[in-house]
Amino acid sequence: MTRTPALLVAWLALAMGLVAALLHERSRARDLGGGPTQVAGRTERCLACHSAPEDDPGGAHTAAALGCSPCHLGDPGSRDKARAHAGMEPEPGALDSAGRTCGRAGCHASEAERVARSPMATARGIVAVNRRVFGETRHAEASNTIEDVLADPKPSPADTHLRKLCGGCHLGARRDNRDDALSHGRHLGTGCSACHAERRPSRGPDAARLPHVPIDARVPDSRCAGCHSRSARISLSYAGLAETSAHSAQTCADPAPLPDGRPACRVQADVHQRGGMACIDCHLHTELMGDGHVRARASQGVEITCEACHGGTSVAARRTWGDVLDDVTRRWLATRGEVRDDVEAVRLGARGTPVWNLRPDGGDNAGWSLTGKLDGRARVARQTPVDRNHTLRGHERLTCAACHSAWIPTCASCHTRFDPSGAQWDFGAGRVTPGRWIEDETPGLGMGFAPPALAVVAGTRIAPAGPGMILSIEARAASGPSGSRRLFASWDPHTTQKTARTCVQCHASPEALGLGAGRLDVTRARTTFTPARPVPRVDALDEGGWVALFPRAPGTSTRDEVRSLDAEEQRRVLGVAPCLACHAAASDGIYVDFKRSLARVDAREAPRCRIDAAPPSRP
Amino acid sequence: MPTGLRGSLGRLSLACFALCAGSGVALVPLYDPANARESLEWIAGGVPWGFFARGVHAWAAWGLLVCGLLHVADVLAAGGDAKLAQGVWWRSSALLGLVFAALLGGFVMRGDAGALGALRVARGLCESVPLVGAPLVAGLWGTGETQLAVVAMHHVGTFTLLVALLSAEHGARLLPDDRALVLGACVVGALAGLVPLPVGDAPEVAPSGLTEGPWYLIGLQGLLLDAPPAFGWIVPLAVLGLLGGVRHLKGPPRRAALATLAFALLAWVGFSVRFLLLAGGTR
Repeated sequence: MTRTPALLVAWLALAMGLVAALLHERSRARDLGGGPTQVAGRTERCLACHSAPEDDPGGAHTAAALGCSPCHLGDPGSRDKARAHAGMEPEPGALDSAGRTCGRAGCHASEAERVARSPMATARGIVAVNRRVFGETRHAEASNTIEDVLADPKPSPADTHLRKLCGGCHLGARRDNRDDALSHGRHLGTGCSACHAERRPSRGPDAARLPHVPIDARVPDSRCAGCHSRSARISLSYAGLAETSAHSAQTCADPAPLPDGRPACRVQADVHQRGGMACIDCHLHTELMGDGHVRARASQGVEITCEACHGGTSVAARRTWGDVLDDVTRRWLATRGEVRDDVEAVRLGARGTPVWNLRPDGGDNAGWSLTGKLDGRARVARQTPVDRNHTLRGHERLTCAACHSAWIPTCASCHTRFDPSGAQWDFGAGRVTPGRWIEDETPGLGMGFAPPALAVVAGTRIAPAGPGMILSIEARAASGPSGSRRLFASWDPHTTQKTARTCVQCHASPEALGLGAGRLDVTRARTTFTPARPVPRVDALDEGGWVALFPRAPGTSTRDEVRSLDAEEQRRVLGVAPCLACHAAASDGIYVDFKRSLARVDAREAPRCRIDAAPPSRP
Repeated sequence: MPTGLRGSLGRLSLACFALCAGSGVALVPLYDPANARESLEWIAGGVPWGFFARGVHAWAAWGLLVCGLLHVADVLAAGGDAKLAQGVWWRSSALLGLVFAALLGGFVMRGDAGALGALRVARGLCESVPLVGAPLVAGLWGTGETQLAVVAMHHVGTFTLLVALLSAEHGARLLPDDRALVLGACVVGALAGLVPLPVGDAPEVAPSGLTEGPWYLIGLQGLLLDAPPAFGWIVPLAVLGLLGGVRHLKGPPRRAALATLAFALLAWVGFSVRFLLLAGGTR
């Protein structure tokens, strides 16, 4: 069997094998790394190589406590680089894998589940409004999510519009298919990390290795602004930035271009922002990460109220921590080593979630102080005074924001058209596809800011509103509609000021009435409005207005339950205007019973009053 | 009697077994059945030349199987089975089954995704044996999800001892001759150095789809895709029974039995190809 030639071949083969083994052995010894391989009793060989300080996110997620694999997956037991990295998640927190990373059992399982259902992940409201504006649905309620839209093999014209212009702004978007307004894609976290991981500090476009970002529950406002600096632009408004445009006629004394190049103007910031408060100081965990319930739109998820911190004018039932059912907050407090006695007073959000950083600041529970979650600083939360300004008859429907919001972003023209010959990124396909949606403005009618209009919400509340969509659509090339819309939207502008609008700024203001800019002349006998930017071939309607004066039907909005003031409501508001020249303060005695005061004027029982006689009876 | 390499397959088998046993002795202190995959990682990446020892062990085991099968074919073709006593021939046929079982035990001892999949299949097959299924599973494979102590015990002890004893009886010698050992060591050493063995995927990161078992049992996997689990032990036992029975046949019945064994080998290859095609399609 074993002739000499065969043995020679075998020896030669063995020599080759031993040389190969020697090389393999050398690389094995070199690749072992020098870092630790055990974390909290677990094998975590990732650290053998990734043990540099810049590899450590620090804080509660420090590598010394967790290692790498709980977040990044892979094979922590492997000594081989390729196998260790197999199945690795480069974007921990991405919602499609969050159940195995942030949301794994024992970590943040309930939060990951809630976030996946939350408006920031599903964007149901955006999908619904977009379809309604395109005339594809009658009502602004829809069950579809942005993920449905992005996955649809045959999207409708409205959905195509969404996929090409707005589809990159939701928590489900991966880094390379994301459209963050303030950050370049590769510097972003995804899903949970979109908020909880601060942007990576860039070392230039060619930097091969970037340090690990800190992971923190304390989300800075800059993370919110990545998405919320668009559409309603509440992040910008809160910071005192009003986006303008080249076509805007509005003058700006203090231009402040945004990081992504959009022109903006520095104006009055929200009083809370000026006081150093962050978004998360007010907004509760149920709003930011969802409460597990599917909401048709983001506003339905908002739980914080002004009254939660500042109290109302009526005496509310005193609540204590013993009444609190929210286990999540209790767990967080326990994690932070904080204790709340069951008898301690607590203020709650609209659905019962405690504002845990708001605490009674004295033994008598008379005052409250709110501790900043980012800076740890305590601030006095002043309580709403029970005075005439806040208890005036006829103002019962007013929300706090209706009076205390100083301005709201405006855009009097938005021309949306489809160019079939163009090409544009499709966030559903994840690549450039044929067809391009273009949005531009009428010169002189670009973006700006103005006092909010007043909207009636669900018939029960008066709230601020702004021109959400004064637009024209030319989408016939995409088998879509052609036409124009004049829709306002109601939202809290996040431009709260301590000093509220004056009586004149509502009762004699064309903007407040939804008329837009122009000249409003009010007497008891006659009221006229001359628009500053009249809409061609339409009587007395301003380009930036919602409705005409005394309209036959109120103006519509992006939501079914929101409308402008109707003619009767406008008349009631304007009915005060003639008195304001002499009786400008809410504390004035004539407002105690305003109807009776007017009746006295008409009966000539107030000889010093110089306003006109009563207007003729209305049709 | 054939000469040269063809006539030395039995001695090469014994040499491979000796190399396998020797390298196994080196690996035993490094292996922990309670942390099987961790052990493999340690052997493959943490111990100097551990990967080489593991490679020698595995390549020698496969050499034992391949040389053993070729030796059986060689013996049957040359009519050498008649030269062995009936009892020895039957025990030698069983030796082939023992080698398969020992190799399967070694595969399961890896503790990776494929190994745990194979363990589940092996337990399922044994469970399908009437009356003694459950005790057979406990006795051969153990019952813990990832506890491989029983498997390791049989691999290192029971099967190794039985293979050694039956080999000694079959070849009338306990140790291989020097030339076979040198040739086997050269080939096995060359393969261990040139083709380092990978460590399989951890169970939690394994890709979904069909998991491949050891290459020499993929034919069985292909068969079991559609056949009931009992076929997993009935068919191998039938093949071994036929192999043992050949010794008693002459003339056309012997030729028919040999043709059946050849067909079984072809079917084995066919089922292997089928499984590999399906497994590729599910990934």
